[in-house]
Amino acid sequence: MPIKTWELDPNFKNEIMSEAGGERLASCFQCSTCTLGCPITEFVPGYNPRKIIQMSLLGMREEVLSNPDLWVCLICQTCTARCPQDVRIADVLGALRRIAEREEEAGNLKIDSPRPLFDKAFQHQLKKFGRLYDMGLAMEYYPKKEGSFIKGMLAMMKDYKDFGMRMFLKGKMGPLGGGSPVKGMLASKIKQKDVMKKIFEELGEEGKEK
Amino acid sequence: MSVDKLAYYPGCPSEATAIEQHMSTEAVFEKLGVELVEVEDWNCCGAAEVEDPRVVYALNARNLAIAEKEDLDIVTPCSICYYNLERSNRALKADEALRTKLKGIDSSLDYNGTIKTKHVLDVFVNDIGLDEISSKLEKKVNVKVAPYYGCYIGRPPETAFDDPDNPVLMDKLIELIGGEIVPNFNYMKTVCCGGPLMMTRGDIAFDMARKILDVAKNAGADCISLACPLCGMMLDGKQADIEKALDVTIGMPVVYITQLLGLALGIEPNKLGLNKNAVDTKEILGKVV
Ligand code: SF4
Ligand code: SF4
Repeated sequence: MPIKTWELDPNFKNEIMSEAGGERLASCFQCSTCTLGCPITEFVPGYNPRKIIQMSLLGMREEVLSNPDLWVCLICQTCTARCPQDVRIADVLGALRRIAEREEEAGNLKIDSPRPLFDKAFQHQLKKFGRLYDMGLAMEYYPKKEGSFIKGMLAMMKDYKDFGMRMFLKGKMGPLGGGSPVKGMLASKIKQKDVMKKIFEELGEEGKEK
Repeated sequence: MSVDKLAYYPGCPSEATAIEQHMSTEAVFEKLGVELVEVEDWNCCGAAEVEDPRVVYALNARNLAIAEKEDLDIVTPCSICYYNLERSNRALKADEALRTKLKGIDSSLDYNGTIKTKHVLDVFVNDIGLDEISSKLEKKVNVKVAPYYGCYIGRPPETAFDDPDNPVLMDKLIELIGGEIVPNFNYMKTVCCGGPLMMTRGDIAFDMARKILDVAKNAGADCISLACPLCGMMLDGKQADIEKALDVTIGMPVVYITQLLGLALGIEPNKLGLNKNAVDTKEILGKVV
């Protein structure tokens, strides 16, 4: 890709390095150990964390933040474990995803992945109940992902029909799930839900109610 | 070194998809004479979906503070919960300003940094110890096992408690109880199962999980053993979906290491939730002598 120097944002690396997890970006010396050990490269052609770091250092802000590859990282930490410069690539990618999400919310970017919707639905469930409630999460995520309630329910049925029945028969989900008559059916709620609300409201940009 | 009482953090899947891991963890610790005190009113650790480290630290500060009141170290059977608990514990211990800030948000987040966080595998091998466990074994679990460790046991480096390339804690337990480690599986031990992409790129997640199942099968394993509920959901819970989507037959039993250990300790299979794994485990039960 040709680099247009007049479009580079020299401040981008500072922006990343001031984000939690992005602090060690500038110590990268481009050895490519991260990319060589990354399991996703086998499944997503062209996936290259080393290059994302390089483009970030160069200030290619728009290209980096709109790169769909940001959203297929498994956060498996293989790159971080092997990096000789302790760049914490898995955390840097997390910092980039958070900047991208903020840009999308500000209307400056369109993210080509349902992952922000999933993460937000997860955080919303957590803020509401204090624990993960699988069914509630799916019911919140699928309609958002598919763009309408009906489409969402159909897609959810398609993905979950067999799995849900399997879990139901094993007593893991449904009316008798979770080892008690109600646990698998209803959200498991903690008593101090107000604390969850406070945490997300004071610290998280993602958990805030619109 | 021996332990007799620990705070227990079950994690969200303990109430649903990984209930068998929860059941077997409780049963095994009971048999080993270690009392588990469930963290009262525990909240979710943030899993992989809460990406902001500050929120993760706050969520885990509450759980750590509850255990600290009881003056107990925390143990969890879930690798992701362990990673979040341990990295939060480290951050909170090192940063007084962070502790003060969290305390200001709510008094329940007032944690002084006096306890340790552990994964069950670490406690079994390094705290309770193989000799102690060996003295309590009642049966031989004569199975060929592909020990699958996944992501957060050997990495990232600060929170890891086993080797990043060739972890061995589970291998040691399997050999102790009379099992055999299959050859040619080592290189898959720590390759991610694909779980984090299940809801957003299910196609990639299926391919990744299938590869692990295939390698275990080709290595001649009777089962895969695990120490994380997300791996359990991918390799066991979704195995039939993977077979259907990719038009393959696998039929590989997948069990938690606590279930195998429980069998060797002479615990009733149903008490270990062995009737709750998605892929049938009867063949394994036939090899317990
Ligand atoms: S392994 Fe570390 S130093 Fe090497 S290219 Fe990747 S981030 Fe840069
Ligand atoms: S954390 Fe992401 S970039 Fe790093 S090795 Fe895993 S999938 Fe690749």
